[in-house]
Amino acid sequence: MLDADISTRDALQLLTDRDDDPTRMGRRRFLQMVGMGAGAGALAGSLGGFDDAWAGAPIGAADGIVVLVGLFGGLDGLNTVVPYTNSLYYDQHGGLAIPPTQVLKLNTQVGLHPRLPYLKSLYDHGEVAVVQGVGYDNPDLSHFTSMATWMYGRAGNGTPSTGWVGRWLDGLSTDEMLRAVSVGQGLPLHLIGAARRGTSVPQWGVGFGGDTSRHDLWMYDGLRKMSVASAGRGAWHDAVAGTMRKVVDVGQEIAPVFARDLPPGDLEKKMTVAARLINANLGLRVVDLGHDGFDTHSGQPNTLNDLLTDLDNGLRTFFTTLDDRFRSRVTIMTYSEFGRTSWSNDSAGTDHGTVNNHFVIGRAVKGGLYGQQPSLVGLRRWDRMQHHVDFRSLYATVLDGWLGGGSSTVLGANYPKIGLFRTGPGVGVATGGAGLAVKGDWVGLTPARIYDSRRAPRLLPLGAGTTGEVQVNGVAGVPPSGVAAVVLNVTAVAGTAASSLTVWPTGGAKPGAANVSIQGSNSTSGVVTVKPGAHGRVNIANDLGAVHCVVDVLGYYRTTAAGRLQAQAPRRIMDTRSGLGGRRGALGGAASFGLKVRGVGGVPTTAQSVVANVTVVTPTASGGLTVWPSGVARPAASSMSFSARTNTTSLVFAKIGADGKIVVYNSAGSSHVVVDVVGWFTTTARGRFTPLAPGRLLDTQPDAVAPLGPSGSVAIAVRGRGGVPSSGVSTVLLNVTAKAPSAATNITVHPSGAARPSVSNIAAKAGVDTSGSALCLLGADGKVVIHNSTGTTDLVVDVVGWFTS
Amino acid sequence: MDPLELAHLLRRTEYVVRPERMTALAAATRAEAVDDVLAVSPTPVAIPTYIDHDIDGEGYSQWVFAVKWWIDRMVDSPKPVQEKMTWFWHGHFCSSWDKVSSARLMTDQNKLFRDQAFGNFRTLTQAMSVQPAMLYYLDNVDNVKTSPNQNFARELMELFTLGVGNYTEDDVTAAAKAWTGHGVNRTTDTYEFRPERHDTEPKTFMGVTRNWDGPQIVDFLLSENAATKLVACKFLTRKLWTYFAYQAPTQNIVDELAQVLFDSDFEMLPWLRALLLRDEFYSTTAQQGLVRSPIEWVVAVMYQTGFRGAALNPQWYVDGMGQIPFGPPNVAGWKQNGYWTNSSLFGARAEFARDVTWKLRKNDANAVSKNHTPAQAVDTVAAMFGLDLSNTTRQALLDYIAVRRLNEPWGEWWESTNLLTMAMLTPEMHLA
Repeated sequence: MLDADISTRDALQLLTDRDDDPTRMGRRRFLQMVGMGAGAGALAGSLGGFDDAWAGAPIGAADGIVVLVGLFGGLDGLNTVVPYTNSLYYDQHGGLAIPPTQVLKLNTQVGLHPRLPYLKSLYDHGEVAVVQGVGYDNPDLSHFTSMATWMYGRAGNGTPSTGWVGRWLDGLSTDEMLRAVSVGQGLPLHLIGAARRGTSVPQWGVGFGGDTSRHDLWMYDGLRKMSVASAGRGAWHDAVAGTMRKVVDVGQEIAPVFARDLPPGDLEKKMTVAARLINANLGLRVVDLGHDGFDTHSGQPNTLNDLLTDLDNGLRTFFTTLDDRFRSRVTIMTYSEFGRTSWSNDSAGTDHGTVNNHFVIGRAVKGGLYGQQPSLVGLRRWDRMQHHVDFRSLYATVLDGWLGGGSSTVLGANYPKIGLFRTGPGVGVATGGAGLAVKGDWVGLTPARIYDSRRAPRLLPLGAGTTGEVQVNGVAGVPPSGVAAVVLNVTAVAGTAASSLTVWPTGGAKPGAANVSIQGSNSTSGVVTVKPGAHGRVNIANDLGAVHCVVDVLGYYRTTAAGRLQAQAPRRIMDTRSGLGGRRGALGGAASFGLKVRGVGGVPTTAQSVVANVTVVTPTASGGLTVWPSGVARPAASSMSFSARTNTTSLVFAKIGADGKIVVYNSAGSSHVVVDVVGWFTTTARGRFTPLAPGRLLDTQPDAVAPLGPSGSVAIAVRGRGGVPSSGVSTVLLNVTAKAPSAATNITVHPSGAARPSVSNIAAKAGVDTSGSALCLLGADGKVVIHNSTGTTDLVVDVVGWFTS
Repeated sequence: MDPLELAHLLRRTEYVVRPERMTALAAATRAEAVDDVLAVSPTPVAIPTYIDHDIDGEGYSQWVFAVKWWIDRMVDSPKPVQEKMTWFWHGHFCSSWDKVSSARLMTDQNKLFRDQAFGNFRTLTQAMSVQPAMLYYLDNVDNVKTSPNQNFARELMELFTLGVGNYTEDDVTAAAKAWTGHGVNRTTDTYEFRPERHDTEPKTFMGVTRNWDGPQIVDFLLSENAATKLVACKFLTRKLWTYFAYQAPTQNIVDELAQVLFDSDFEMLPWLRALLLRDEFYSTTAQQGLVRSPIEWVVAVMYQTGFRGAALNPQWYVDGMGQIPFGPPNVAGWKQNGYWTNSSLFGARAEFARDVTWKLRKNDANAVSKNHTPAQAVDTVAAMFGLDLSNTTRQALLDYIAVRRLNEPWGEWWESTNLLTMAMLTPEMHLA
């Protein structure tokens, strides 16, 4: 048999970077390549002159993306999708066979290899098509010929010069540099067309080409100019000049993808890069990557265990990293040059076979088993199984079902399609920008959970740089339309790194300031007021590490008449340390207390909802506080989270029950609770709300304002800034972030000209960036004052909305 | 001989055009120049003892040493064509340090390639067939009567001598049986024939039924059978032409040069000499026809900057460029031109160029641009790297200097360093 180590890479390498002649590149393509940016213009104007022509155009909302995962070397399909009731399998695979007890059963006959639990969970959610018995007529057992056949994707003999994805590129109406990308060290045959080719992106990141200093940009521009016109030194001269130019162009485009750390494993790294490239919306439709080593001629059990673990982790990492907004647009397809023999050999391995099982994975995939397991009846040692599904049927299905059609042209024949998709790409995908801001009246809700990444459909934490998408309109009492803004409690759960969550309208630009700081595994939360974006959704992005995200809705502002705000200086209505409010003594775990709010602390008897700074003092355990209207069952949502022994303050919006009370519930440990009312909503008050895209009012670092020292204050003009009008404004809603405070400190926001209240808005730990919402009346001069209690801290202040006066 | 043709000959056979060689051969005819290029000292080159022994199991430090030693030798050898041919055979009869896992066996093989670089191809093939690195690499160590391993037998025909399509699967099966028992004594790591593992049954190879033994297969293919001998001559000629001249030679070039090899019974010196004498080798197609491989580009950078492996550590970079000495990607070796020309592999060249620049800067390389007009600065770097710049490249470099000086009249430091990096990344520098 061919050797395990060399022949696999042999095939790959030979099929990578076709030894082509640039004169055959396609005249039009080449001219286009060298012509772009030729008129970079006056010398001074060419500084940073990376013209937009090279930038990838974002793909359309209904454009599907295919991720090809090559399992190089020839995957043992029988040990991947195991026929665990077939005695012939156990006879022939011998000691390599997976015992029935270990198989992750898909039905009464087949199951997955035990190292594929994540794939199994996707299967259980109906997102995995297992296509069995894939192959083709008259297979050759060499890695090279077999891989060439798969990459070529047409019938016929001879060494192919184009691949199926490349020919698909040829047929597109426009050419984009980043339409098809191979994450790895070269461009494999299947991404090479007659006139167009994909682009290779190394998995370890871009170095040269990705820098942004002006000196580097001048140098890059110089290198690009070496290919603005044919040098008259032959085709290869122009080709290498074009390649250097591409190094720079690709570097500039994709450098941000590598700004965050990558996981160590080869496949996980590649799959993370793939997901980030998709998230960056550079116009990718096909991403190719591969993992080598499946040529298990000897010592198969341990090797295959490791490799399938890699695959399973890679899939998990991919979906952890992939933004929700692309979740319904991506389909993953595995491929491999061939399968392996049903008989094990003398070296605890299997030899080159023919038929294999492959996976097609995605939200629009109609999960289940397709094709059939090849028969093992009568096979002798070197015999190969017979296939049932031609691999080009798989391609045709994906081309026509997910890549917009053209399979008969690309594949040179009409192959029967398998019908693996339930829907086309992008069903339910948000498009367009956020709607116009309109004034809104408040409707308080019993808090309700509307997003939980731990549960279906996501089931995975948000990875670094990953955006979750939360439907807010039309769920949990929020109407489908006429919503000016929603108020959400966003909780970060089980984070793996110090990071932050940022919330903004879907379809809009991500704002600069975060809303919730994540302090590792401790749950943290923040109340966020945000305008629903396209399709009534909001985005939530995580910066670093991975974190689960839970979103509860507390209420919303609607465009028709409802509650309007009256804000006030904070007035305390509950303090369990003193007994104020009727409860003396810490609130124990799972204990609740009904707190009268109407007619107390300035709140009128007509108030529908109350806004309060709620502070948890010296909690003995980490937990959450839920505040909801008296008279209804406690919802499975929370209003704020806190960590053990850490004082935490949050702005809470609470609907008031019919008896004039709200209920405060502590989930764990024992904690004192302090409630300070900062406003209420009635139909007769004046404050109608207008949400804003966050407008930066202060950033002490770039603004060259000195950080706030101990007992330091800064007055910030708000009226007429950051989207706030210059008149008719009573109250503003701010997002305040204490950055890297030198000591544990309390940040207090109050109107200019008024006495500083004793209750703070944000309690920050030393060295931890902490964000919080603050509702604050404007002073007569249109300013608010921000005060820092201890140590030194930088501050970032954004205005996120305002109320009419 | 025309100076441009002489420069082309030297660039292809000696990696770079060394001024002293141009001077020495200024008055030579083409034949005289070719003979001078090919006049390699017959004294075998000794492999440094450090890399000639197995010191540690993995041999990584020896591999590093070996890479630096070999690349330095490409730069400094009085007749670098010897290293060009050594590399040719390394890419033809591939073995990989990774799999063989023996510094001694890999460097033995390297010595064999160098010693027989201009010898007889059949002799070299016979020697290679029983060289332990090859026996390990293509698994003939596991090729035994009871369980034949076809790996070596297949590649012997597919990649080493005939090319695909010139043999059948039955021939592979028979040849594999013929090579059973030819293995390695694992104690001494030397070639060993074990008769009890050899298949002595009659086997039918290429229609001839005998009790074939492995070396007889080589003799049959390259001597006894005129048809396969001619096929092999053409197969090798096409590869050699592609290595030195350009891709896709016309059939008449292949046929005529193959006949030289055939007639000399596989003596390689007259064959290479005939190749270098042909007019087509000096054609525009040839002069513009090849991209420097990563190693060739590194060798050129090292020669032009004066740095050697100890300073530049090329072993850290060549993997990213796509070419690892003693580590061919597979048994088929490396290819050319488009094989090296993609953005990720060129990105690694750019990283290397920047690192070289950094080291040059320490030697006060500001002089390339300081107090120079833009034109003088461009001329200085072009001369430094032996570049005959096209108008397009020259204008790009001039524009770079102009933009920088327009925006930032101070700071020679960045201008010089970036200019050096850009020079190493010009298309002129990337072409062989």
